[in-house]
Amino acid sequence: MREIAHLVLVLGVICSLSAAALAYVRTSLAGRIEMQEDFYVRGPALERLFKQPAEGLLTEKLTVPVGDQTYPVFYLREAGEVTGLAVEAAGHGGYSGDIVIMIGLDPRDDRVLGVEIVSHSETPGVGAKVELASFRQQWTGLTLDQPVSLTSDGGGIDAITGATFSSRAMVDGTNQVVEMLRDHRQEILLLIEERSSGGAVSGGEG
Amino acid sequence: MNFRQTLTHGLWRDLPPFRMVLGLCPTLAVTATAENGLGMGIAVTFVLIFSNMFISLLRKVIPDKVRIASYIVVIATLVVIVELAMKAFFFPLSQQLGIYIPLIVVNCIILGRAEAFASRNPVHLSMADGLSVGLGFSISLTLVGSIREILGVGTWFGMAVFPDSFEPFGFMVQAPGAFLCLGLLLGLMNAWSRRRGEFFIQT
Repeated sequence: MREIAHLVLVLGVICSLSAAALAYVRTSLAGRIEMQEDFYVRGPALERLFKQPAEGLLTEKLTVPVGDQTYPVFYLREAGEVTGLAVEAAGHGGYSGDIVIMIGLDPRDDRVLGVEIVSHSETPGVGAKVELASFRQQWTGLTLDQPVSLTSDGGGIDAITGATFSSRAMVDGTNQVVEMLRDHRQEILLLIEERSSGGAVSGGEG
Repeated sequence: MNFRQTLTHGLWRDLPPFRMVLGLCPTLAVTATAENGLGMGIAVTFVLIFSNMFISLLRKVIPDKVRIASYIVVIATLVVIVELAMKAFFFPLSQQLGIYIPLIVVNCIILGRAEAFASRNPVHLSMADGLSVGLGFSISLTLVGSIREILGVGTWFGMAVFPDSFEPFGFMVQAPGAFLCLGLLLGLMNAWSRRRGEFFIQT
């Protein structure tokens, strides 16, 4: 009995010290890791959506919590007007996990500028075809006032042959954005105004 | 083994992938380029030095019955720290190495050194052993990576080494190329050892 208590104690102390060390490293590096992720993963997608270098765009970031999820939102502001919003969402139901997409839209007329894949782990040659411009261009020009769906489900998006799961995950991600924008659009635009009015002087000079 | 022997044994006599024939999974999987091989080697070296240090420090405290579990906890903690640090400071490399960074936990070199060396030797010797074996592992991985990258892509650490007319044989950067490269290197080292009359030959 004493021996067991000893074993449990030693292992318990080692585990708690390890846990403490990990918690410390994780919290102290979390900010840097997110910056790196923004730069290397989201940066390229943003660049393609807004056709501008990512450096200036990455700092213009909000996170919108909805329920237990948070949506990163990037924005583009020109001459005191928000001319672009990019919302990231994780489309569930992919063949091997979530497909993280970023939808860019022009909030002035609510047209979609395009959709970019931030990350996915679909099968190369099958599900990975969601990356193809010919598939993604179906999003360009959509108005996000109602949910989208695949043609096989009565909607307007042609699925990739043999990759219905992947296509559905894209649709799911899109619909999350539709829903999120429907409920939080004003809030997001207000937040952007608030943030930009703080830096309005420098913005006005430019 | 004295201090000097400990410091050098990992470089030839116990060279991990070729002599001990341990840690073959990363040796084959991440050495498509020299940079990946070196990055993996450095990550493993870091984990080895510190896991040897902690395990050597704790060797009198850890009861025999839970020693493997304790070693694994120490090693796993260090590996997660490496993984986080890599994400924070070398993000593209961490994307390249992907799942193989967390898999360092089950790299048998590390548990092997913990069990065979660090659990029986004082701290300074254990750290020297970790450094030595880690360096040997890094050099081996960089070597395999260099050969595969130079022949398979025509570059070394991303720099072009051949004129444009060189047609790289892409076979070398794919999985079979890794086996071929490892096998040839193993054979060459055995032939060299045999000529010198050394007795530690892998059969």
